[in-house]
Amino acid sequence: MYLTNGIVIGIIYAISALGVTLIVGIMKVVNFAHGELYVFAGYFSYYMSVSLGLSPLVAMPLSVFLVFLIGLLMEKALIRPTYGDDMYSLIVTFILSIVLQNLALLIFGPYPNKPPNLIFGATNLFGLFYYGNQRLLSFFISLAILLFIFYLIKMTWFGKSIRAVSQDREMASRIGIDHYRINMLSFGLGAALAAAAGVILSPIFPVTPSGSAAISLTAFVVVVLGGMGSLKGCLVGGLILGIIENLGAAYISTMYRGIFGFILLILVLVFRPWGLYGQKT
Amino acid sequence: MLDVKEIEIFRGEAQILWRVSLTIQEGEIVTLLGANGAGKTTFLESVLGVHHPRSGEIYFRGRNISGINPFDIARIGISSVPEGRRLFKDMTVYENLEMGAYPKRARSSLLESLTWVFSLFPVLEVRKKQIAGTLSGGEQQMLAIGRALMSKPQLLLIDELSLGLSPKITKEIYETIQKLNKEGVTILVIEQNAALALRYSNRGYVLETGRITLQGSSTELLNDEHIRKAYLGM
Repeated sequence: MYLTNGIVIGIIYAISALGVTLIVGIMKVVNFAHGELYVFAGYFSYYMSVSLGLSPLVAMPLSVFLVFLIGLLMEKALIRPTYGDDMYSLIVTFILSIVLQNLALLIFGPYPNKPPNLIFGATNLFGLFYYGNQRLLSFFISLAILLFIFYLIKMTWFGKSIRAVSQDREMASRIGIDHYRINMLSFGLGAALAAAAGVILSPIFPVTPSGSAAISLTAFVVVVLGGMGSLKGCLVGGLILGIIENLGAAYISTMYRGIFGFILLILVLVFRPWGLYGQKT
Repeated sequence: MLDVKEIEIFRGEAQILWRVSLTIQEGEIVTLLGANGAGKTTFLESVLGVHHPRSGEIYFRGRNISGINPFDIARIGISSVPEGRRLFKDMTVYENLEMGAYPKRARSSLLESLTWVFSLFPVLEVRKKQIAGTLSGGEQQMLAIGRALMSKPQLLLIDELSLGLSPKITKEIYETIQKLNKEGVTILVIEQNAALALRYSNRGYVLETGRITLQGSSTELLNDEHIRKAYLGM
């Protein structure tokens, strides 16, 4: 049961972390505003389904798309002028994170909100225990998103040009890849992944504006755990973190849920600083 | 085909090229000679749009291309083999070649180009599933040339073709270059190995500290007193 919980949460962590790792790998930009994008998506999804009365099935993709557009805009307006200076982009995304967090407080208020569930009830898993259908559904949606991203990166022209740009930006432009466009789209995609995690997880764990920092941190832990820029690392890192947090919370103490991930992070940094699947440099 | 007119290039505040002019006719192999630091690579990168000239113009088939982006240059039929090859090291040989056909006009004939490149460098077909970073130096150079050819270029610019390669492989590659040229690709080769490059080209230019100091047919250059002393060690 706790293991199942860990796997479900872990997969969603992996999606959120994929968003971070895409942006770091391609643009060498650490997006501190990652968690805020997650929170915005959660609220969008809440308001669209509760206030506008849209079906969650419509509200969820629409919220993700909205955040994707916000991501494109952010890249174009704020990140693009900082290229070539990692420090500037770091400061810009950090400030952006604070601004967006307060904006969320202003617009949405400090109250935790929870978009409605897609389905109700529970299913008996392996004849062992009953597990919430909403969580099961979340798991399958997340899995589908993961598979889609892997397909996108490995098989399509867009994915291949993303990899080319991340390996050698100038050479990529010399074979005809418009790297400005790739940057913008991959930043948007990174934002959309944060949003996807947000809309999937918010019916289970309600979103609040102040919760964003924890979301960003979790994503960064997974990225470092798995290895910078590695997609496989994100998946494995997300699963490990999800499982450890849930088992730790169950058998040691729920008070310390957050600490297990960080202990793991410290161990990884000490013994394998390039992460599980990262490259030694 | 390519007409470079008195370009001046700066990198930051440092001037690298002074009023450099160079022309390439369709169907030629032209060599650009020069010592380390003479500005050869900078010249090539200027044609590719990596650096933009502060004055002067570059024409390709009558169109002014100075000041446009590298990815647009690649799309109009100029392709390059960079110094140090700069393959996409974590991708397979096949994927590297595929990326070479990125420009839209090249994608539709991807399979055709692939057959062409494999016929020029059969070893690439054998290694097609291998990760590019694990190839030998000679194979990497072949892959870099192959990648450049995948876009079906009209003009191919090659930087330091022989750098780090054994004489035998260098000779093989030069012979392939000649074959390519006969198939209609116009070529500019940048070389430090003057004797070799001039043997395989129609004309040559000599670049010294950012200025063109000599130009002429390859035979003329091979017999030139200054070239013999400075570049051929005779």
